[in-house]
Amino acid sequence: MDLNVMISYLPLYKEALLLTMRIGWEGVLIAFVIGIVGSAIQHFKIPVLRQIMSVYTELFRNTPLLVQLFFIYFALPQIGIKVSPESCGVWGVGLLGGAYMAETFRSGLENIPKIQFESAESLGMNPLQVFRYVILPQAVTSSVPGLVANVIFLLKETSVFSTVSLMDLMFTAKDLIGMYAKTIECLTLLVIFYLIMLLPVSILGTVLERRLRYAEFGD
Amino acid sequence: MQSLGIDVLFKGKNFIRLLGGLWVAVRISLISVAISIVLGLIVGVLMTSKNKVLKAIFRVYLEIVRIMPQMVLLFIVYFGTTRVFGWNLEAEVSAIFVFCFWGTAEMGDLVRGALLSIPKIQYESAMALGMNTTQVYAHVILPQTIRRLIPLSINLITRMIKTTSLVMMIGIVEVLKVAQQIIEANRRSSPNAAFGLFAVVFILYFLICWPISKLSVYMEKRWS
Amino acid sequence: MKKKFTKATAALLALTLVGASLAGCGSSASENTDAAETAASAQSEAAAEASSEKVVYRTLDEIKESGTINIGVFSDKSPFGYVDENGDYQGYDVYFGNRIGEDLGVEINYVNTEAANRIEYLQTGKVDIILANFTVTEERAQEVDFALPYMNVALGVISPDDAVIESLDQIGADDQVIVISGTTAETYLEKNNPEIKLQKYDAYAEAKTAFVNGNAVAWANDNTEVIAFANENEGYTVGIPSLGSADTIAPAVTKGNETLLNWLNDEIKALGNENFFHADYEATLLDTYGADYEDTLVVEGGQAAGAEEAEAVESVSVAAVSADSSK
Repeated sequence: MDLNVMISYLPLYKEALLLTMRIGWEGVLIAFVIGIVGSAIQHFKIPVLRQIMSVYTELFRNTPLLVQLFFIYFALPQIGIKVSPESCGVWGVGLLGGAYMAETFRSGLENIPKIQFESAESLGMNPLQVFRYVILPQAVTSSVPGLVANVIFLLKETSVFSTVSLMDLMFTAKDLIGMYAKTIECLTLLVIFYLIMLLPVSILGTVLERRLRYAEFGD
Repeated sequence: MQSLGIDVLFKGKNFIRLLGGLWVAVRISLISVAISIVLGLIVGVLMTSKNKVLKAIFRVYLEIVRIMPQMVLLFIVYFGTTRVFGWNLEAEVSAIFVFCFWGTAEMGDLVRGALLSIPKIQYESAMALGMNTTQVYAHVILPQTIRRLIPLSINLITRMIKTTSLVMMIGIVEVLKVAQQIIEANRRSSPNAAFGLFAVVFILYFLICWPISKLSVYMEKRWS
Repeated sequence: MKKKFTKATAALLALTLVGASLAGCGSSASENTDAAETAASAQSEAAAEASSEKVVYRTLDEIKESGTINIGVFSDKSPFGYVDENGDYQGYDVYFGNRIGEDLGVEINYVNTEAANRIEYLQTGKVDIILANFTVTEERAQEVDFALPYMNVALGVISPDDAVIESLDQIGADDQVIVISGTTAETYLEKNNPEIKLQKYDAYAEAKTAFVNGNAVAWANDNTEVIAFANENEGYTVGIPSLGSADTIAPAVTKGNETLLNWLNDEIKALGNENFFHADYEATLLDTYGADYEDTLVVEGGQAAGAEEAEAVESVSVAAVSADSSK
């Protein structure tokens, strides 16, 4: 293994890491929003929107991100809808994640005892207030393990971005291997950079999970 | 706009080839899940052990599976192992290897959870009946665990089928690659084929994964 | 507290484990490179590699014995290497591949490669020969062994008719140019025009679809490839028909695989006597390029010349452009 080669590649990997993180986290943010809105739609049983929501979750949960990206990036422009690689990446992760997040929140909501809704309403809150002040905080808390798993899953899924020409970590490694054939160096750096990106999230998730569990027990 | 590539599908053996590509994906995941269940049962039982070293090793293993993208593992196994150890694995073997590495960790963790959820009293009662440890596991604990695991492993199958779309990156010709080849071979006669073919691939994946994941939800509800 | 400690240890362990495995790769690999550095010539480099018991390739006899040869080709680069509607590999490269199998008396197993994987496939012994439109370059020749050439090539840039790019200066700061990862076009532009923003794809199929979808102002690739694309698809012009040096395309084998390399060289020379590559051209490329380019594209019997051929390639390209604009 040639350390000098690895050092010379560092700037490229750093750039790729930043791009991967930026697009990944933007996607995660969109996923959160879709997830919350989606679970609210399911929760309030809003007609039409509810059906659309369940078709959407089923579609995106049961197809691979790679195929979704191919469809968004290569197929849609042929019927006149053009998407840039970046927004394709962000929306790909966001739409895929939204479907998973909605499911996670929904099961979080289902765990909340009915009596709480009734109590909150008897306190004079309107349904939106109940959702905002009573349900959402609890739903988020009880879904934390699922949410952390989702975030890690989504950030990992960014490894297919090469197909829409985003220079993420995976593509940078592949590209360098293709040009200079320093396979071992490139793969080593790849592993190190994924650890840098995901190990903190994973550890934070475990810590958070334990904290919240203590909080629950404390009640 | 033309026909958006639907006509291309029915040219020659194209549609059969597409289905053949899908079968490659399904085959890889079925084999991997079968192996993962067996290995996962063993690993899961070992995970409940109190041995510190064993625990630490499994912790690291789970953490690696949790944070390394499958694509990275595929590349390491397919290209890295030849470089370092001189193994020359075929692409499909590499894929199955990586999927089992991943599946065993997930199954192992699920088995561990399921084992811990079985009340202690059952172990004790079985022992009191004069069974030895192996018998307790074989006749009392594992049958219950497996029942709990079936819906979860069905769920793992769909996730594996979805992940097989990555294997085209190590040269396996699966459904997405076949679609690309068809688009490429017919670019002159139908330049818009990309829309139709990628849409069909999207639908094919959905048609395979959706019933399986519905089944797993159904079984989970019925058996819990 | 105790639990947290365990978690931290686990994390640390994970890192050390990865570190250790990397160090493991490191030692074996650096031995190799060190040996390679001390070795003076390419030959002793091969010997060094052989002595460290890391021979990944199969010799000619081993291939014959096994009854199958693995040949890496493109599956999405028509008309050079593609798959037809019956699932069979076709194209200029494949036509040659079929003949190799026939003359060796073995079955052929075509392996689908992407541009960026080609060196990797040879170095890890996953294929015996790469016949995937592989341009001979100095950098690549350090990694693999090229046999005699069978085609001429240079780089070319294609763009839509309504905004033809005839010089790289026309490419604005915000414009993007499509290239395929691991091709000579990518290396050339990275080295000589680092200011141009590249949009990189893994596969030919992806790059072409993105180009047709209008995701970039131009696509840079082998000129043979872009000329073919302009001829086959309405609305595109090869504005820069020849960029960089005139190169050749040749079969490649794993570095040090002399028996196979020698056999290939003899084979290519022998095929020259029957004008094999002209026949290949007529069978696979004629539809795309017409008869005019035959003599300038085809290299027969491994006889590629320097300057003369370069001019020839350029004139092909010019001819292609004029043919195109007359359309």
